[in-house]
Amino acid sequence: MATSIAASKRPFVTLPFLLPSWSDSLALGSRRYQSSYRRTKQRLRVKPDATFGSSYQGRDQIIYNPPSSAPSVYHTPSKFLPSNDARRSMRIEDSATGNVTDKVEELPNVYRSDPERKYHLTPADVEEIRKLRLSDPMTWSRHKLAKRFECSPLFIAMVCEASPEKKQIQRQVLEAVQSQWGPKRRMAREDRKLRREAWGRDE
Amino acid sequence: MPVKGIKTVTAARNGVGAFILQCKRLDFHYCNYGGSSRGMLAFLTQTLPNFARENPQIEIRVSPRHSKHPIIKGHYINGREKSICVRNLEPTDILAKAMILKDASGEKLKVQKKPVTSLNESVRGIWSPYHGDLRGV
Amino acid sequence: MKRVQLQRWSSTVLSPRAQTASRLHQHVFPAGSRCQSTASPLQAESSAQEGLGDSGFEDVELMKHVRSAHRRKDMLKYPSPPVDAALNSAKLAALHARLYLPSRLPPQTLARALVDASADSNPDFNNESLATLGHDLLTYYTTEHLLCTYPRLPLTVIFAAMYAYAGPKTLAAMAREWGVEHASLPGGEVDPGLLQFRRVAPGSDLNVLYNKRTPRPYAAQKAWRMTVTSKIFYDDEFGDAIKGPENSGEGVTAELASATFVRAVMGAIYLHAGRPAAKRFFEQHFLSRHLNISQLFNFSQPARDLARLCARENFEPPVARIISETGRKSRHPVFVVGIFSGQDKLGEGAGASLIEARERAALAALKGWYLYSPLNVRVPSSMEEEGAAPWKPVYVDLGEVIV
Repeated sequence: MATSIAASKRPFVTLPFLLPSWSDSLALGSRRYQSSYRRTKQRLRVKPDATFGSSYQGRDQIIYNPPSSAPSVYHTPSKFLPSNDARRSMRIEDSATGNVTDKVEELPNVYRSDPERKYHLTPADVEEIRKLRLSDPMTWSRHKLAKRFECSPLFIAMVCEASPEKKQIQRQVLEAVQSQWGPKRRMAREDRKLRREAWGRDE
Repeated sequence: MPVKGIKTVTAARNGVGAFILQCKRLDFHYCNYGGSSRGMLAFLTQTLPNFARENPQIEIRVSPRHSKHPIIKGHYINGREKSICVRNLEPTDILAKAMILKDASGEKLKVQKKPVTSLNESVRGIWSPYHGDLRGV
Repeated sequence: MKRVQLQRWSSTVLSPRAQTASRLHQHVFPAGSRCQSTASPLQAESSAQEGLGDSGFEDVELMKHVRSAHRRKDMLKYPSPPVDAALNSAKLAALHARLYLPSRLPPQTLARALVDASADSNPDFNNESLATLGHDLLTYYTTEHLLCTYPRLPLTVIFAAMYAYAGPKTLAAMAREWGVEHASLPGGEVDPGLLQFRRVAPGSDLNVLYNKRTPRPYAAQKAWRMTVTSKIFYDDEFGDAIKGPENSGEGVTAELASATFVRAVMGAIYLHAGRPAAKRFFEQHFLSRHLNISQLFNFSQPARDLARLCARENFEPPVARIISETGRKSRHPVFVVGIFSGQDKLGEGAGASLIEARERAALAALKGWYLYSPLNVRVPSSMEEEGAAPWKPVYVDLGEVIV
């Protein structure tokens, strides 16, 4: 009787994947816990796979096992190597054997659409942009001009500058908005700026 | 300016190029009358000249300390000091204590858990879950 | 090329007072004996002079005491310790041995290297000349190492790397790690094994005190733009304005005095032991220190710079593509973005937003360009060794990306 009670306390089939292996099932009654060192090591023992064996018997071979980490910056990309560098020809041989995937085109772009460069604005257009921006800076903002001339707001900023009065008004608007910020928002904005600066230092 | 330089200072790696012994001074204190200094007096007359010749990097000072036990005091480059009392010890034991002070780095003793500590980054880089042999789910 | 015997020059480094002392030293002490104990530094001197003693004194002990007192009084007259005191200093001998300095470098020169110009204004007894030579050697060896190992580094990063290897802050840290102690005040009676300099008066403004020597015109106009090219022309090796007190009487900071000492040691080794020993000393003490050059870059707009670089080198324009991502709609997304030029990946980076990941990827690509290092790097000064292989020109790059 006593043994059956003990067995019911200790269920026969605990989590099956924790067992060492089915062949190794010794007396189930004397099973110990996972904390055993031998069992932990046994878990790491991997069955020999077909790829482990040396298929090229008698030939020298290199096992290519790339690290699961971001590439080091000291590893110069092949494109950046000068033409007389020995590493360049070595890597070309390596890629010729088929190690490099040619799926670059399939990867999605970071931006939805690549902006098509049109180069359609003439000097006369640029003159008109400048004239409009100077004549009525309140209506003709950067974005409105960009929409009208079908170019980017950055281009508008490159070709002309707002009048000092407009800049002054804009500064006052900004100050008015910022004076409404509480301490939390102000700190969050400052932190964001600091984080952005940290990108450039790769931190 | 497209890129700026960040000013830093190189870190010392004692022993990679040159090795600087960290013990810079050993003070030997003895008493002329006390019985506990008998071994120390023998050490100072017999063993110390040889010890000093073998370790020219260390400045050695010998000075009496009346009515006190003999001690050896080591001064280190990091500014710390360590002292060992050598009362009633034989000259050979005192030499062993002096060697302990000579070989010490001056740091507080601490448990070394890693077999290697290095400033160099690891060859395979820091593990990242987004790299390496990824498997689709 | 004719080789000059350096040993012959080296005798001129020691001032006349030093030379006579060293000759006397050879007579009195057998070669190879060390003055390692500070128990009684003046005993050897007094015993040597005992024959000349005044017969009026009966008590030998008293006579010795009076003599040493007189000697101390004499030493108080000098601004720095006399040259023959170097032979009796245990600190100096220990420092000499700790640095494994060549035996051809006498302790007198090491003692001279420890005397700053602010302590002793006489150029025959301070370390100014040795430090000038040592500084030139240090910056030369560092520059050639950097330019040959990383030929594409931008100039601002070269300045930062030079500062990290041979800047005053590093040299002061090295002097500390060599166990050099400072004397609280310079003087003739001070142990010659201590670094001697006159300190800056407390409370004085270093920016006012030190900004007097720059040759840059309109240096007072702080708001004006300073180009990198003008830094080559007007500033020092580290891209900083040339600083220093106008005359040596004003005192120096401990950092500057320590840096001058380390430079003077370098110069002294070159003069006494020759070029190979100086090069070895540089490699063992300066080049062996750890510096990660990839952490010296601070980019403001890496994506723009990379686009300019690809245009200059006739590569396809860089395109940012998502390699992998997780949790786009979650609070902590991670994007891994690679920058590709045609079929080649130039760099990759991970970030919490697409813009951050793209910036980091562009930065990694730029670092990959700038940190190119040729194989089997040789420096020009390696040609000075005996039996050096014929010189092959090193890789010289077009220069940094100009936007």
